[in-house]
This record gives sequence, C-alpha cells and structure tokens, in this order.
Amino acid sequence: MKHVLLVLLMSVALVASASATIRVVTSLPDLADFARQIGGDKVKVDFIVRGDQDPHFVEVKPSYMMKLKSADIFFTVGMELELWASQLVDGSRNANLNVVDLSRGIQKLEVPGVVNASLGDVHRFGNPHYWLDPRNVRVIVNEMIEAYAKVSPGDEAFFRSNADAYLKKLDGKIAQWEQVMKPFAGSKIITFHKSWSYFANWLGLQIVAQVEPLPGIAPTPSHTTELIQLCRQGSIKAIIVEPFYDMSAPEQIARSTNAKVLQLPTSVGGVDEAKDYISLLDYDTNTLAAVLK
Amino acid sequence: MHRFARVAAPLLLAIAISNICVSQSTVNPEISVIPRFLVETNDGQKLDQGKREFSQPDFQFQELELAIQSYLNPFSRADVILTIPGPDIEANKLGIEELYATVFRGLPLDLNLRFGKYRVDYGKLNMVHPHAWPFVTQPLSQARFLGEDGLNDLGISASILLPTGDVYSKLTVDVLRGNAIPHAAGIADTTGANPFYANSARLMGFFTLTDESDLELGLSALTGIHDPYNRDRFWYLNGDFKYKYRPSMYTSLVLQGEYLYNTRSAAQNQAFMPFLDAAGNPQTRTINSSGIYVYADYQFFKLFSIGGRYDWSEAPYSKDDRAAGVSVFAGYYPVEETLGLRLEYQHLKTDTPASSTSVNTILLQVLFSLGPHKAHPF
Repeated sequence: MKHVLLVLLMSVALVASASATIRVVTSLPDLADFARQIGGDKVKVDFIVRGDQDPHFVEVKPSYMMKLKSADIFFTVGMELELWASQLVDGSRNANLNVVDLSRGIQKLEVPGVVNASLGDVHRFGNPHYWLDPRNVRVIVNEMIEAYAKVSPGDEAFFRSNADAYLKKLDGKIAQWEQVMKPFAGSKIITFHKSWSYFANWLGLQIVAQVEPLPGIAPTPSHTTELIQLCRQGSIKAIIVEPFYDMSAPEQIARSTNAKVLQLPTSVGGVDEAKDYISLLDYDTNTLAAVLK
Repeated sequence: MHRFARVAAPLLLAIAISNICVSQSTVNPEISVIPRFLVETNDGQKLDQGKREFSQPDFQFQELELAIQSYLNPFSRADVILTIPGPDIEANKLGIEELYATVFRGLPLDLNLRFGKYRVDYGKLNMVHPHAWPFVTQPLSQARFLGEDGLNDLGISASILLPTGDVYSKLTVDVLRGNAIPHAAGIADTTGANPFYANSARLMGFFTLTDESDLELGLSALTGIHDPYNRDRFWYLNGDFKYKYRPSMYTSLVLQGEYLYNTRSAAQNQAFMPFLDAAGNPQTRTINSSGIYVYADYQFFKLFSIGGRYDWSEAPYSKDDRAAGVSVFAGYYPVEETLGLRLEYQHLKTDTPASSTSVNTILLQVLFSLGPHKAHPF
C-alpha cells in the first residue's frame, strides 16, 4: 500500500513539474519576443518597458515589482542599461527570482577607459544597445535556453528546437536586411543618442555625430549649430531619433540642411508596425533605406 | 633564483595591488553628496514696527546630505544618511539622519524588516528626502505635527505584501523609540520610567489606471505618549494620495495630498501651562486638530516644472493656533537630477488667539547631486 502511495505521489509530482509554466519577465519587449519564441507554450512572458519608452529612465513603480514577485526568471539587457532594475528586484521580495544578464557573451562596443560624469551618462561596461545587431540574437537566445533549462531541465530539447527554428528564420531575414542596406554601406548618419552603434556596425553605416552633445545630455544651441555645419559640409541624409526623444533639435538641423529626420524605434512596440523583433528590423531597415536612396 | 625573485616580486605585488583595487571597487558602497543652498527674502521682519517691506535676500546653507548605501549581503542592504543641517555652515556638525539596515529577501512570508534610525513609512511625503520634493518649503501640517525632520526615529519596521492579486498593497508596522514627535520631546522625560514606545502603521495600495497614469492611496496611524509625566497619549491618523499622469518622457502631472487628524489627551498646553477647570483645579482635556496639504506639479519639458500647493493646519495642542498658506513654485533641472534650481513664492497667514499675521516669502533653492543616489520610488 505504501509503495502504491509513493508511486502515486511521484507521478503527481512529475506531471505537475512537466506541465509547470515558467514565468518570465523581461526588461524590454524585444527580449520578451525572444523569450516567447524559445519558450513556446511552456512560458508565460511579460515585460517592463514599453517600446515607446526610454529604457534608461524607468520609474520604480510597485506594479513592476508585482510582475517580478511571481516570476521565475528576469531577463535583462545588462551593462547598466537598466539602472532601475535592482530596486524592482529588491522590491519584489522574490527570493527565487533568477536574474539573467543577457550581455555576458556579447562582443561589446564602446567600452570606455575612463568613466566620470563629465563625459555624460556613459555606460562603464560599454554600449548596451546590442540587441539592434540581429547577429547578437544567437548569443541572447543561448543564454535564454540555459536559463530555461535550469528551471525546467526536461524541456531543454524543446527549447533548443524552438531556438533553432527561430534562428534559421532570423538568418534568412538577416540576409534580406543586409541585401536591402548593402547599397548604403558607408553612408553617414547622425543619431540622437548612441543607441544605433551596433546597428551601424552591422550594416557598415557611419555614425558621424549625435544630437546629444554627450550621452544623456540634452541638445544645446551651440552643438546644434555645429551639427548644422557638419551636415552642410558632409553628405548626411538621415538623422535617426527614437520615438521618445524631443524632436525640436533634430528638426531644427533638418530645416537648415538636406538631412531628413527619421523616427526609428529601437524596440518592439516603438511604432505600430514593429509588432515583433523581425518586423522591428523590417521597419527600421526599410525606412532608413528609403531615405538614404 | 634571486633573478627570478627580482622579476617576480614586483609582478606579484602588482597583481596583489590590482586584486585589492578590484575587490575594493566591488565592495565599496555608493557614496552621494547632496547639498542644498537657499536665498530667501520675506516681508514679515518689520511687521511689529508697522512696516511691510522685503528684507535683504539672505544667503543660507540649508542642508548637506551624505548618503552611503550598499548591499550588505544577498539578503540585506544598509543605508547611512549623514547630514549637516543649516543655516550655520561653519558651526553645525555632521549628524545622523538615517542609519538602518533592511532585510529584503529570505524571510518567511516575504517579510521585509528594517531596523535602525530611519524616516518612518508614515504618509506619503515623510519618506521622501527634502532634496526630492518639487517645492522648497515643508508643508505646514508636516512641520507642525511631525516636526522639521519629519517622523524619523529609532525603531524596527516590518512590512508585508498583502495577497491582493495584481494590485500592489503593503502593510507596514513600526515599533519606535517614541520621542521623535517634537512636542513630546519638548517635555524632558526625567521620570526614569521605562521608555514609552510609539507605534506606527501604514496600509497602502497602488493602482495602475492606464498605461500612463497611476494612483497610490494610503492610510497611516501613529500613537505614542506625548507627556511622560501624565502618560498622556496622542493618535495621528493620516490619509494620503498620489496621482501621476505621464503621457511622455518629458511631460508629467503629479497630484498629491495628505490629511492628518490629531487627537490627544493633555494636561497642559504647548507652553506647559496646566489646563484648569472653572474651579481652578488641574484638568485633562481632549484636543482634536488637523492639517492638510495638496499640491500639483506639472513637468512640461525635460528641464522645467511648475506647480502650486495649498496648506492649512491647526496645531497639535490647539485648534485656535492655525496657519494657512498658498505657494507657487517652479523647478529647473538643466542636466537631469545632478543640478536643480527651485523658485517658490509662499503667502502664509497665521492666526492665534493673540494675533494674526501674514507674511510673503520668496525662496530660491540651488542643489546639486554628486554620486549615484537613486531616484525615490513612485
């Protein structure tokens, strides 16, 4: 009788663990898209920052702590992009939360030698906007599989299979995006913030300046004048601005030069068309290509 | 061997030093310095001479806050806030505003425990350091009932998240040393009796209304002995709200207010004069009084904000000692939170049974923030 009871209990436990859903929260909606693609129906995914919000500055709201309170995994971009994250994690009171920094295997760009406030809001571990180079998605996905497998080891093959299918699809899109942007390799652009370094590095674009005089510092009249001069001297066709930044300085530059201001999202949901990561890069590459023509 | 030692020794020393540097940089706490300066003028200094004229603007040092904060281990963190209070920048010494440890992880029922000296989770404004207020002057009800430094005492605090689904609701309970209330501290306790602890509690709920707007509601209570000789008890009951609408990164509207109700039994008034009945015998009276503030703060561009505040407050020991104020204020933050200028105009009317005065004050506050002191939560 005892043995039968034991077997029954073990069976219930096995069924329960097999059907358990991994509760995932990500800082950005782009990471949420990857998390869903890999996890399929075995994960429930939510995110903190909307695509039309600046991920650097997020108000520490109790409602975000609630999202993390019941989560198993919290995926972050890392490299101190989400300086607000530690307050949310501590406020969640979730002792079992596994916080995963996805930047671990990324080839980092713009790692500064010296960091102090006179240089603006410089990230001391390098530029954290690495998800805008789709070749980095493979690294992100591998970290996610590892984290999922720790929570649900029996499903690792399922996660790997999903990841392989997604990465195959993404490889096809990468070739397509590179084809679209190939004629514009070497083109000079201006960006509002240093969010596009990985994107430009991937596509061979040349970022010649930022609208911000220093990272995180609001545009000044003198710097805007310098950019107008720069645009007039060089063949700069595009000024890329994220949807959450103020348009006045970029528009002032555009009015005085031949450059066009483009509002390009850096994250899923930044514009209506960017419904997932692939449509985000579809939108960004097609819109930019249309202006650089 | 000697040659090897000559080469290896400096190398090993360099590795050792670099290891020390690395480990120091990882264990050093975050250190921030936030001083506030003030230029003030008012037209109330010569009222007793029958003159109403603005005084010469007075340069003042308001306060320096030195924050040292870090994790102690994976389960707890420590916060040390040292201050030099104004206005005398040369004479005043560094004091302890807050010194506490918080255990935020690993306790049963996800309990959060805080112990030390700290700003008590009472009402909405009390836990916010003055440098983070959108205005310069302290709301009247807070100053009169809680004191210039707010409700800040030695104690132990425990908080728990309530099982209210997706709604964040928290109950905090404190046991405090009990002498933080200025009017209680005003009566020197030489009774030699055991300390009279104060108890505080706050229940708050946070409601997400839309993607752009949130509402926080709170109820607080504080009780303690304010007169150790007569063992007279006071009760403060407080209701607070904060609404925030943020449609874009550069625009936000904050509406916030608190109502505080005081009830206490007292054998003497604020001037330590005993209450007497008609026959001239000592008498204990029940005093009920209250205070309120409401403010709106509108950020209309990344660098600018404007707002207004209404204050009305009676006194802890008297309903007849009243003050009312109207303030308008503007903030300018040229480089995020590292540098701030706040300008405030306040019209303040004070009524007591003996007199009635009104004073206009203009204040310009300048502050900077050196270091990584984090933003206060919602």
